[in-house]
Amino acid sequence: MELLSYDFIQRGLLAGILIAVSTALIGVFLILKRFAFLGAGLSHAAFGSIAISFLINADIHLTTVIFTVLIANLIEFLTQTRKVPGDTAIAVIFSSGMALAVIILGIAKGFGENLFSYLFGNILMVSKEELLYSFFVFLLTISFLLIFYKKLLITTFSEEIARVKGVNISFINYAFVSLTAVVIVASIKAVGVILASSMVVIPAMTGILLANSFLMSLVYSCLISVFSVISGILVSFKYDLPPSGTIVGISILAFILSFVLRKLPLK
Amino acid sequence: MRIVEVNNLNFSYDGRYKVLENVSFFVEEGDFLGIVGPNGAGKSTLFKLLLRFLKPQSGEILIFGKRIEEFRDWKSIGYVPQRLSVEHTFPGKVKELLFSVSHDKRETEYLIEYLKIGNILEKQFTKLSGGQQQKVLLAIALSSNPKLILLDEPTTGLDIHTLNHLINILLDLNSNHRKTIMMISHDIGTLLKYSNKILCLNRKVCYFGNPTGAIEFIEEVFGLRGILDGAS
Repeated sequence: MELLSYDFIQRGLLAGILIAVSTALIGVFLILKRFAFLGAGLSHAAFGSIAISFLINADIHLTTVIFTVLIANLIEFLTQTRKVPGDTAIAVIFSSGMALAVIILGIAKGFGENLFSYLFGNILMVSKEELLYSFFVFLLTISFLLIFYKKLLITTFSEEIARVKGVNISFINYAFVSLTAVVIVASIKAVGVILASSMVVIPAMTGILLANSFLMSLVYSCLISVFSVISGILVSFKYDLPPSGTIVGISILAFILSFVLRKLPLK
Repeated sequence: MRIVEVNNLNFSYDGRYKVLENVSFFVEEGDFLGIVGPNGAGKSTLFKLLLRFLKPQSGEILIFGKRIEEFRDWKSIGYVPQRLSVEHTFPGKVKELLFSVSHDKRETEYLIEYLKIGNILEKQFTKLSGGQQQKVLLAIALSSNPKLILLDEPTTGLDIHTLNHLINILLDLNSNHRKTIMMISHDIGTLLKYSNKILCLNRKVCYFGNPTGAIEFIEEVFGLRGILDGAS
């Protein structure tokens, strides 16, 4: 309990919980829409944007959010218009973001260490502004889901049926990928570019495996995600481990455990 | 009243190979139109054009007397798709799905009663049998109280008991609830028996009219001469 008296631990825990809920909620929809890889694509695209921000000395958060939202919409456009398959579009964006960052690192010196810190993130270094951004992302995610829950559910089930039922599929999909981009940028601070997609995919998949309804898959995903973040932060601090890896490691353990639980006659 | 009217419809996915060529037919209020044709004949494509998922290269589609480009009342059409590509881990319960498209709780409860699906409401959709899934999809299609119902191969893979049950529901909807039905099926015998009109499609319209006169054309399209004797 002594740990909780530290200011930076409190900030880290609070930001972590807000990000954990946001990533878990969008993760369930992304997995069921077979778009789970979008998180990885966007986080790596965001890395390219962070490098640009360093290069031109721009506001990192603002630049990265705008850039990542634009990239997310580009992926959705390419997928919707069937110009490129969705997974291929994501793979191209993924590689482009990393290539951009590597080139910028090669031509500009002096900020390599700062840039690399975004690769692995550190939730214990969250600033007040970043905590505020996490809170904004949390509110946005919750509001979006509350307003569009029924439409998102039927769209995830079948876009064709949803369209006949009068759902504006285009709007829902573009709005959803934009929200995903905003959430991914927040999760980069928690676990870094490399592991950001893990926060989106692993607790959500665990929740889906354990749940016997759509609503409960969202609830379980959030609980597992929040548990992973809280225990990850406390364990990493106590045993001097990197928080990002510990958070994701714990969520992977929960995922493995869920397989075992599914075999037991609990439901 | 003509519910659907299609005039000289042409469609191609790649701009070269025509999937549908000069297709014309109409569906009147209260009709049960059976659509038959071999695989790749353009049957599902036709439904996608009627639902505006695809746009034709040329031709005209009128829905409830309105040009499809101006038609907005999609809730007056119910659609049961051929194949759902639902993720097998999709955890949604039948109840969650039904109420996600429902605008009227009492209407939905009536549908549950009518289709006798009260016993599967708490079950996950992906864990249902083929017949149960078809009934849920029909319930979703009926949830907006549509006047026209499009069914794309709803009987595929059903056992004879489930098939008869589903057909009885469709006949009741058609005759007692005045729903106009368009149904694609490879079950030619069933369509010849219960439809009042048949559209035989093989990229072009091979036959459009009453079931009695359809047999000869269907035999020719499928290469089944003699097999359908007595089907109607």
